[in-house]
Amino acid sequence: MTDALQVRGLRKSYGKKEVLKGIDLCIRKGVIFALLGVNGAGKTTALECIEGLRKYDSGSIAINGRMGIQLQSASLPVHIKGIEAVHLFEKWNKVSVNTSMLTALGVDNLANKQYQEMSTGQKRRLHLALALISDPDIVFLDEPTAGLDIEGRISLHEYIRTLKAQGKTILLASHDMAEVENLCDNIAILKDGRIAFAGTVSELTRAVGKHYNICIKTSQGMEKFEVDNIGESLISILKGYHEKEIEIQDIQVNRGSLEQHFVKIARGE
Amino acid sequence: MSGFLYGVALQWKLDLRSKTMLITCYAVPLMFFAVMGGIFTSVMPDSRETLIQSMSVFTVTLGALIGLPPSLVEIYRSDVKNAYQANGVPLSLGLFLTNISAFVHLLIMSFILYVIAPVAFDAKIPAHPGTYFVGLITLIAVSLSVASIIGLAVKNTANTSMLSILLFLPSTMLSGIMFPSNMLPKVFVIAGKLFPATWGYAFMTESNFTWHNLLPLFVVLIIAVLLCGLLLKRVETR
Repeated sequence: MTDALQVRGLRKSYGKKEVLKGIDLCIRKGVIFALLGVNGAGKTTALECIEGLRKYDSGSIAINGRMGIQLQSASLPVHIKGIEAVHLFEKWNKVSVNTSMLTALGVDNLANKQYQEMSTGQKRRLHLALALISDPDIVFLDEPTAGLDIEGRISLHEYIRTLKAQGKTILLASHDMAEVENLCDNIAILKDGRIAFAGTVSELTRAVGKHYNICIKTSQGMEKFEVDNIGESLISILKGYHEKEIEIQDIQVNRGSLEQHFVKIARGE
Repeated sequence: MSGFLYGVALQWKLDLRSKTMLITCYAVPLMFFAVMGGIFTSVMPDSRETLIQSMSVFTVTLGALIGLPPSLVEIYRSDVKNAYQANGVPLSLGLFLTNISAFVHLLIMSFILYVIAPVAFDAKIPAHPGTYFVGLITLIAVSLSVASIIGLAVKNTANTSMLSILLFLPSTMLSGIMFPSNMLPKVFVIAGKLFPATWGYAFMTESNFTWHNLLPLFVVLIIAVLLCGLLLKRVETR
């Protein structure tokens, strides 16, 4: 098996409500994969089933390698010190912790700090370090940068890229589209318990349609256009300015952000 | 094994850092001993005969019922449980570690009372120390198992406190440690037999080792352990 993770026909119901309606996912080794979805789409349930934290009704999950899990909602006893938490999970999993990993995440600075004294960012870094203690092949990160300041986000993004460079597979759940666009190789969008899209960001753009944003700055101000046919539309817009003898100072064309495409898929547009 | 032993040592340290455990296992029992020991021995000189046993029962009941449940709620009714599960640590570990640590704390405090009571209040050392210590160890185990049920079954510390006090008060009032149970109305004597403290105190003050007072404690222990297992399974299931 060259894939890091294969999920086939995953189904899960809570009472009569079917939350996952047969999910298929395939994640290649060494990629950063994002699972996206609006609240209630079944993202957390899917992740927890894959992580083995929640029972599922039917389907199959095959994981190739050791898992490291950083949950969004995880905590530790308030009086435990950073180093004690690291040692507890290290000894329990019978592994030796990679000290350079602790240093890279800044956890070595938290060694003697009690959990209750740590900031949100410090707690997130500690939980990520705990997830990486067993040197996992596949790392699950649930909202890894939630609550972090900009500096914390940047350093965590860098570390996630380092993990990828080490050959690890990363499955990320995030609401931050800029983060996903910036970091991820592949994405899947969950909608009403089903995978509404799976592929790369550029494939998503193609799937959603040839949607372009044109921003033109003139001597009279800024104008924005949303068009589907870029060639004809741009010529027509420019012709209009030319006929009115309006001076064009700048033109920007982009294919729309991941957020816009995500919203289209999530809303079923 | 090294993970388990490290966990035991770590839980011991966490308990020392936690004010709840220090207060319920050491501070309050010592204060109660200082005040009530003086009152008991002045008002009822005969209480010197059973002062060590009564203070031990008070300490164990207080430390277990009031001290342990909040630690369990902290683990099992919060996101600490998630961190344990996500990092491959079995959820039962939290229950074992907190129980072992509390057991040692209560044993130490009881031993402190055993040593200082004769000096401070001229209390009499139990005639059969073996019986006393068997009773003490059994009572600690039973009280902790009952406290574990509260800690695993109840969802927040406010409710655990309420439930713990509801068990703690009759345990101390009806067990015979405050005043001889033969002074109580019969209905209270019968009600007192519902609480492990009553059987534990009766066993520790026995002149001879008999199973009569020990068996009920073992029955409660077995039932409580089984219930804890079921509750743990319920907590584990998502």
